[in-house]
Parts: sequence; C-alpha cells; structure tokens
Amino acid sequence: MAAAPMKQRRFDVVAAAMLVMLLLASLHLISAAVQRSEELGQWFIPLLLFTVVGLVMLFVLVGWNLWQLLRDYRRRVAGSRLSARLSALFLVIALVPVGVVYFYSTRFLSSGIDSWFDLQVDSAMEDALSLSKVSLDLHKRERLKLTQNLLATVEDTSQTAVALSVDDMRNATGANEVALFSLQGKVLAVSHANPEIMLPTPPDSGMVQQVVSGENYVGIAPGQDGRLLVRCLVQDKQQRGVVLQVLYPVPESLSELIQSVQDAYEVYRTRAYMRSQIKFSFALSLSLVLLLSVFGAAWAAVYTARRLVQPITDIAEGTRAVAEGHYDKQLPLPQVKDELGFLVSSFNAMTRRIARSRNALEESRRKLQTQHNYLETVLGGLSTGVMALDAEGRIQTANRAADQILGLPVRELEGKDVRVLGMRSDALSPFVERVAGGLEQGIHQGRSEITLYRGGGRQVLLFRHSPLEIGRGLAVGHVLVFDDVTELVKAQRDAAWGEVARRLAHEIKNPLTPIQLSAERLRHKFLRKMAPEDGKVLDRATHTIVQQVEAMKSMVNDFSDYAKPSKLQLEPLPVDAFLSEVIALYEGAAQQVVMQAGAPGLTIEADPVRLRQVMHNLLKNALEAGGADGPIVVSSRVGEEEGNDFVEIAVSDNGPGFDPELITQAFEPYVTNKTKGTGLGLAIVKRIVAEHGGVVHAENPVEGGGRVVLRLPAMAQVLVRTAPEAPRLADKGGH
Amino acid sequence: MKRITRTIAGLILFCLPVVLQAEEVNLRNVSLTLSEDGRILLDADIGFDLNDTVAEALENGVPLTFETHVQMRRADAWIWESDVVEHRLRTVLLHRPLSGMYELRNLSGSEHLSFATRDAALRTLGNIVAMPVIERSRLNLDEDYLVRIEVHLDIESLPLPMRPLAYLQRDWWISSEPWEWRLRP
Repeated sequence: MAAAPMKQRRFDVVAAAMLVMLLLASLHLISAAVQRSEELGQWFIPLLLFTVVGLVMLFVLVGWNLWQLLRDYRRRVAGSRLSARLSALFLVIALVPVGVVYFYSTRFLSSGIDSWFDLQVDSAMEDALSLSKVSLDLHKRERLKLTQNLLATVEDTSQTAVALSVDDMRNATGANEVALFSLQGKVLAVSHANPEIMLPTPPDSGMVQQVVSGENYVGIAPGQDGRLLVRCLVQDKQQRGVVLQVLYPVPESLSELIQSVQDAYEVYRTRAYMRSQIKFSFALSLSLVLLLSVFGAAWAAVYTARRLVQPITDIAEGTRAVAEGHYDKQLPLPQVKDELGFLVSSFNAMTRRIARSRNALEESRRKLQTQHNYLETVLGGLSTGVMALDAEGRIQTANRAADQILGLPVRELEGKDVRVLGMRSDALSPFVERVAGGLEQGIHQGRSEITLYRGGGRQVLLFRHSPLEIGRGLAVGHVLVFDDVTELVKAQRDAAWGEVARRLAHEIKNPLTPIQLSAERLRHKFLRKMAPEDGKVLDRATHTIVQQVEAMKSMVNDFSDYAKPSKLQLEPLPVDAFLSEVIALYEGAAQQVVMQAGAPGLTIEADPVRLRQVMHNLLKNALEAGGADGPIVVSSRVGEEEGNDFVEIAVSDNGPGFDPELITQAFEPYVTNKTKGTGLGLAIVKRIVAEHGGVVHAENPVEGGGRVVLRLPAMAQVLVRTAPEAPRLADKGGH
Repeated sequence: MKRITRTIAGLILFCLPVVLQAEEVNLRNVSLTLSEDGRILLDADIGFDLNDTVAEALENGVPLTFETHVQMRRADAWIWESDVVEHRLRTVLLHRPLSGMYELRNLSGSEHLSFATRDAALRTLGNIVAMPVIERSRLNLDEDYLVRIEVHLDIESLPLPMRPLAYLQRDWWISSEPWEWRLRP
C-alpha cells in the first residue's frame, strides 16, 4: 500500500541530491573559471546560466515541498504540525550560520578588493608611468633631432639624391626603417633592416597632416617583435617636397623597463576600473553558493522532518483508524530500527490482538445469534404459548403461539407490563389477574387452569409458570407457559356425553318395549270388557303410555345414534344431485324448501346415509324454527382454502335465528332453545360432519334468520375433471 | 559555444524590460564585387560610435573585440543546412597608456596597427577593402544566395569579471543591424 509513495519519495531524494551535486560542481567550475579565465573563461557564462536555472528548479522544488507542508498544516493532516515545527527548527538552525558566514564573507571580500587599490599605489603607478614617459620623451627628442640632422646632411636639392641616401641614413643611425614620402604621401624610397620588406610602415593620416602643416611628429609605435619603436616624421626644410620617416628601435634595456611599467600599469588600471565588476562577480558567486545552501538546507529540513515524523503520522492515522473500528490496520515498519520502529511494531501487535479479540467476539455473537434463532424457531414452532417476564412483570419475549392463543400481538408489546394485556382485551383479565396475582404474592411456580370468556366462546388455558433462572437460584424473571385446551376439554366432554347416552339408551330402551306391549295388551284385554266410561279412560291412558313410550324410544334412538360408533360407508357422492334428492322429500312440507345449486358435477366422498341424516336434522331444525316469510334455502358452493378444495353446504331459514349467547355452543348436546327435542340434533350433525373430515358452524346472517354452514372436503381429481365451470369462491373464513 | 552562450543570454535578456537598441554600429556602402580572377570581394565601410561606458572601459585598458560575421548560404536553404561561406573577422582595439596610442590587432593575422586617435583607429577598423568572400566557380550559377553581414562587440572576450554585468547592461550590446543581400552569381 505504501510502496508507491515510498518509491516516489526515493525518486525525489535522488533527483534533489543529483540537482544539488550538479549545482555544487557548477559552482566549483565557476570558481575555477574565475581563477583561470584564460582556459575556462568561455565556460563562465554558460555555467552561470546553468547554475541559475538549477537554482530556480531547486527553488521550485523547495517551494513545492513547503507548499505541501503548509497545505497539510491547514488541513490538519496528522503529523503536519510536528513536521512544520521540526522543519522550521532545522531551517533556522541551518540558516543562521549560513547567513552569518555570507554577511561577513561579503564584507571581507569587499574590503579585501578595496585594499588592492589605494591612493598610494595609484600615485606610485602614475609616477612610474610618468617617469617612463619622461625618459622616453628624452629619447624621442634625441631621435627627432637626429632625424632632422639626417635630412639636413643631404645637400643635394633633388628628391632623387635624398632617395638614394636612405640606406646610408639607416646604416648611420641604426634605424629599423627609413622611408621617404612625397608631400602627397607617395613613397619615394624605403630602406628596412629586413631587406625582404619593401613597403614602409604607413603613418596614419593624422601624422602626415601634422608634418605637412609644419610640425614634425615623434611618437612610439609597436614593433613586429613587440619591441618599442620611435617613429619620427620630419619635413624637409630645404623645400625639396619630401617627408622623412625613420623608425628607431628603443634601446632594449629601456624598452623592457618601459614595457614592464606599461604592462603593470595597464593591469592595475584595468583592475581598478573593474573594481565594482569584480566585487559584483564575487558577490554573485557567493550569493549563488548562499542560495544553494539555503535551498538545499530548506529542502533537507522539510525532508528530514517529514521522514522523522512519518512513523508518528502513521501511528496517529492508525490510532484514528482503530478508533473508527478498523482493527486490522497495520502500519509500515520504518527502515531504521529505533524507538519509533519499536512503537510502530508494538502498535501493529496491539491491532493484531484487538482484531483477534474482535473476531472471537464476532464469532461468539454469531453463535449466540444462531442459538437465539434456533430457540426462536423452536418456540415459534411450538403450539404452546410461551412468554418470559422480567422481575417487574414486563414482557421480555413471547412466541407466535402466545399471540394466537391470547389473540393479541404479544410480541409487539415486549418491554411493557403484562397488565397491558388486560387493558387491550377484557377477555384476558382472568389471565392477567392470575399472572399479576402470582407476581404480587410472590408465587413463583404453579400450575392452574384459566377459563377465558371470549366473543368466540369459552377458552380454557392450561397455565404454568416458573421462575426464570440464569444461575444457581438467581431469578431474573418468570416464564409463563400456557396451552389452549378448549378443544381437548370439549372432546372429553363429548366423549363423556357419548358414554352417558349409550348407557341411557341401553338402560331405558330395554324396558320400553315391554311397557308398550303391556299397555297395548291391557287396552286390548280390558277395553271391551269395561264400561264405556272406564273404557275411555283406559283407552286414553294406554294411548298416552304408548305415545310417551314412542317418544322415549325416539329419544333413546337419538341417544343411540349419538353414541353409536361410526362405521362410514364412503362413496363418491355428487353434491347437488344428492341435495336435490333430499329436498324432494320436503315438497309437501309446511314451508317451501329451495335449492341453490352452486357445485354442479362436484363430487365428495361421503356416507350417503349419514349425510342424509345430517340434512334431515338440519331441515327439521329449519322447519321447526319456522318463519312465515320466504322459503328455506339449501345452497352449495365450491371454495378453496390453503390449496385444498372444499364444498360448502348451507341451510338458511327465516326464523328468529340462534340465540347469540348460545350460538357458539349450539352443537353441544342438550343445548337448545326449543321446548321440545332432545337437543342432540345439531350435536349429531357436528359429529357426522367431523367424521367426514369437515367442520360446521352456525351463524345469524344480517338479513335475518339462522344459517348452518357445513364444509366438507372435495375430491380433488373429480373436481378438476368434472366441474371446470363450477363457481369457485375464495374462502373468506368468516362463516 | 559562444554562439550558444549568446543565444541563451539573448533569450534571457529578451525577457528583461529593457529596450535594447543596436544603432552604434552602422554598415555603410557595403558592396560585393567580382574580381578579375573570379573571386567575390567584399567592400564595406562600417561606422562605429562608442558610447561613454564602452569608451571609458577602452580608455582604462579594457581590450574591445569586434567581430565581423560574413555569412553566405543558399537562398532557399533549410535551416539545418550548413553555410556556403562563414568568415569571422575578429579585431581587438586597445589603448596604450604610455604612448597614448590606440592599437588594432587582427587576431587571425597578428597584425599590429597604431593610431594616434581613437577615431582614426575606428575608421581603419571599419574600412574593409576587397575582402575575399568566395570564388565564383564554387557557387551554383543557377541559384540565389543570401549574403549576410553583421558586426558586433564580443562580450565573451571582455575580462571575465565584466561579463555578467556586460550581459545585463544595454551599453555593452553593440551590434549592427544585419545587412542582407540576395546574390545571383
């Protein structure tokens, strides 16, 4: 992760170091060029330019680094403040001595150069030059006089004569060159010490002009071999129209002395003139060295500070990362094994340990969650309601069965007092009273039966509670476990009733036939023998006996039917056809019975005899319920619930309907609102329907009257094949 | 190397906010003539007008090197094509304190000339007579050539301490406007 910045940093270091080295070399060469200007002088300006450009680059590099430092400082990047402080400290430590050295160097340099040139030396040099001039002037005057004499010695008035004597003149005087010119500048004769030279050294126009105007010329001229020459130009006083030029060599001793003085003077004068430039050059070189030192020191300060602070920065960032929850943060180890390296490795060890602990914790949490889910699933799958309360009676947890049994979303009430259940539903008051009473009385364990009276009927709960212990004897709450045993109790009661009915039928039915026979025999034997009056009494009495015995028989048969163990003869039965057949028997009844067939072609698997008994019982009940208006309606329809098809048969009447208080118990034995009857009719219906795998319930429709609805499972394959057009209604579940 | 140095220094100076002028050397009466022996000869009259700074340096013994650059190349030559002719005539002018004379030294020919006055020395310096440029036979007669002449004071020949400041002072940038002539030999 940190490899790329590290590489970049290494490249920066190499680049900066190379730049500094190159600049140092360049400065060294500049110094050499200043000292040996003849050999290296031509490199001076290029080196200067290179150094300036290099310094500009170094300046940019330093500026970039400082800018980065400043930017990090403003952004409060970790470690930037320490870096800035260290950089400033290093910079000050480096700059102060460099500045002091620079200041005094420039002063010493300036005063040192000034000391080269003082008034005494100036004056001495001027005096030496003047002395040389005076000496040379003396020599020049002698030579001028000699030259004038030379021309005067030629007595011939012709130019030719003069021209012919130039060799003699040169030989006589030891001159280097003797030349004769006309006034117009034309060369008339030349005599040179070197016979190969045929042309005279030409005087410049100023000299000729001076001589022509009447004033002789004498001056110094450089010779070919570097030796000084005295040039004399004289005009002929004898009006021969010629100008004589003679070049005398200055005596060697004098020439050397004069040359020496002249050279020294020239060097001194030039240096004196260049004093400011020399100072400037030295100051420039020194300034370049200073700038190199300053920039180099600045760059090194920033770099060193950053490098020193880097591990601390890493640790700061690492700490922040750990604080934010990134426990797997690992820091790059510094290359140098010092205290900071130890700190970084300790930090890495710490984060590793934290990460391991976190992983273990995460694992534990995951296991706990798994166990919790497992427990939830198990509890959710239980048909027994389970509820946990804390010590204060607040609901901690509950399972789905608790919701279903209590008819309230108990799980949504977690954290609330259990008494809230009583406020939400009055029917749950006995339950709440039992629980709260137990809590208040300090009863921590027990088992009891609670009966709830709800809109749907009586509900019997088998209730147990026990303390919730998390350790040995350390109770933190209570566990409530309850089962809905309503159906179980009902089934037990039904079974008991069945047994009673069976015994009653058995015990009563046997003596009934002898009673009836005896009564009929009495009537038959004594009716004719008695007086009419007595006969009437006997007839009425025996008739009553027989009638009551018949009634008792009927009742006993009902009991027998109810108690009889079922032996169903199941066969496929087309529902609508079967219903039509039953209804046909009631054509002459007091009330019209109407058929609304809604399951054409639908077949169920049923015992036709038992099912017919069911329909007769229901129709009988409906006829007995009466109701002057409207017919009794028998309807059928097809429905589906949870993927299972069923057929629903309803018998509706226009009577007063069921007593709302008894409607839920209408199918229990001996529950009736009629004055006559055994009260077993609907109980038998329920039993037969249950034997067929169906359910039955009674209801009072809003339009009035009463309705009994029974639901029987359909034969699936038959339904699909034979009744594609059958109306299929989704079960609303509200019957 | 000198050319490169001059170019770089020139580029730097180009950026300076100083208006540089080159009016102190004037090329006058420049002419190219064909001699009887088939050589192309250059005649020129160059006028020098030294400013006070340069004159002061000369009077104080600083030698001044003037370079006359004669260049001939094909008129439609590519930039990288070498010159047909390139002459650099370098002459040093210096003042002798003892004699009070001005000297001209031809660096190529070690020729010494003395002059009593600076003007006389400058006149001689600026007087180019029949300087051979090239033989006509070496040129392609169907082609045009550009002849370019430029005269300048060579800062690089000044004493070393003077060079940095000389590059930065306009007084030392003495040069002529380049003289160009299209030639069909």
